[in-house]
Amino acid sequence: MSDKSKKKEKKPMAMKTRRSIEGFIFVLPWLIGAALFFVYPLFQSIRYSFSEMDSLAGTKMHWVGLANYSYLFNRSTTYIPKFLAQIKNTVINTPITLVFSLIIAMLVNRDMKGKGAFRTIFFIPVLLGTGFIMESLLGVGVGEVVTNSSDSMLTSILMQSIGGTFATYVTEFLSRITIILWKSGVQIILFLAGLQGISSSLYEASRVDGATEWENFWKITLPLISPIILLNIIYTMIDSFTDSSNELMADIEKSVETGTLCRGAAMGWLYFAFTFVICLLAILVMKKLTFNQGER
Amino acid sequence: MLKKMIASMKYKREIQQSGVRVRKPFKISKLLLYIIVAALLVFTAFPMVAMICRAFMPLEELYHYPPYIFVRKPTFQNFIELFTSLNASTVPFTRYIFNSLWVTIVAVVTSIVICCMGAYGMVKHKPMGAEAVFTIVIAALGFSGHVTKIPNYMIVSGLGLIDTYAALIVPSMATAYNFFLVKQFCEQLPDSLLEAARIDGAKEFRIFWIIVMPLLKPAWSTLAVFSFVSNWNDSFSPLVYIHKDAMKTLPLALQTMSGGAGVVSRSGTVGAATLLTTAPTIIVYMVMKGRVMQTMTYSGIKS
Repeated sequence: MSDKSKKKEKKPMAMKTRRSIEGFIFVLPWLIGAALFFVYPLFQSIRYSFSEMDSLAGTKMHWVGLANYSYLFNRSTTYIPKFLAQIKNTVINTPITLVFSLIIAMLVNRDMKGKGAFRTIFFIPVLLGTGFIMESLLGVGVGEVVTNSSDSMLTSILMQSIGGTFATYVTEFLSRITIILWKSGVQIILFLAGLQGISSSLYEASRVDGATEWENFWKITLPLISPIILLNIIYTMIDSFTDSSNELMADIEKSVETGTLCRGAAMGWLYFAFTFVICLLAILVMKKLTFNQGER
Repeated sequence: MLKKMIASMKYKREIQQSGVRVRKPFKISKLLLYIIVAALLVFTAFPMVAMICRAFMPLEELYHYPPYIFVRKPTFQNFIELFTSLNASTVPFTRYIFNSLWVTIVAVVTSIVICCMGAYGMVKHKPMGAEAVFTIVIAALGFSGHVTKIPNYMIVSGLGLIDTYAALIVPSMATAYNFFLVKQFCEQLPDSLLEAARIDGAKEFRIFWIIVMPLLKPAWSTLAVFSFVSNWNDSFSPLVYIHKDAMKTLPLALQTMSGGAGVVSRSGTVGAATLLTTAPTIIVYMVMKGRVMQTMTYSGIKS
């Protein structure tokens, strides 16, 4: 074929073709895997979202156009509310997660004893995954135990000192903080990488000029890690949207079992199209706000 | 890279030593710093501590109301029960452990080999369409696996792999993220080294095994950790692909154990099982820790 005709030309060309073929052989196993389990399923699931299943086995289906999508918008009673709830959740969680992970990264970045161990403990929740194990572990989170444990004196102290309603706010906050800390392992690592990338000479210079730590943070640290903030915003949003504990994802997963694959595919596509647009918007907005050092 | 890092670390240390005078007045703030970090640590570590305690709690402490956080009289009763009484029922617990270990190890090893081969071939040989593939990989990073899970099920069932180990291994072999990570590292490989090996007459696969793979060790050892964690914790694929009890992996078995009939009476054994399920990932991470942190900070992304 084409490589034969090329071989007749100059020798370096033939060499290049041979290299190309060798490379292709190297890539082949991965390509087959990616085509079979990523590219093909992607197109297939687009097709599913526009189809209706004829039999439960799922081998036969016919084209129904936008029917699945219009069902979700017009007739489904659960999809839109869950969608909105998820958006609200993400809007609340993303800034809190970012602030906490930045604070922790800055704390752990200082020279203190045992910072390696601290980093490890903050990172461990990432290892436990987002699935069932994490949920069952968080079921015994701080908030729950604080409120109904005999070991904790905290509740009684709280109740006596600040009264019932405020105490529930505090315990509510305590239970949320564990979840937030558990979700921010990766963000902490990324922030740490960013903080360590800032040259210490900048801080030295500003200290000589008499700047306070507070000014250093706003004028040096924040601008220089702004690309990482962007990365973290996107990561946190995707993580929050695709978390298997959120109800919308649970519905999509359930559609496999209940045999409503097509509707599930439509749900998935709508959801991820939305996620994609939001991330794109975030990138566009943050691009204007991030500080570019030139080399980055 | 490493040399640079070491050099910069040395430089930092020198600065710290010379800058002692600046730091002295901040003693109280330093104490405050430790207190804040400690408080945050308590919140992070709490569920883990509670889980470990639960696994060792005897029955009467588990049923105590209001519940205890810390164990008072630790026993191994829960573990013994997990391995003996559950063995007597349908599927022995050891079978789940074996399933999980086997599936995870095979998936990790094959994924590493395939992704390293692919990334090396793509970066250093540049076959036709390499650019298009890179674009696809970047796009794939943005997608959640859940969109493609449904057609994946069709393919797996079409290949007749339902209720086999292969159903859990094959789909996770060619992942985009693994490819992306190795690709970043492959670009750093010196061409001259590969050229020299070629001039010496080494065959391509020999070059890959003898030269490329050892050089890529930081990349694939990090990948091993992540891929181990994600495969080990994956409860969704077994839920979809596996229907037989005997083929279930640990996370799914745990899910079945903690749901359904007799949940309350088994909360101790569930605690023990949770501990056994989470332990391997943490051990693997501890062993590979230094390398993972280094690669993560270097590549600057984790998905």
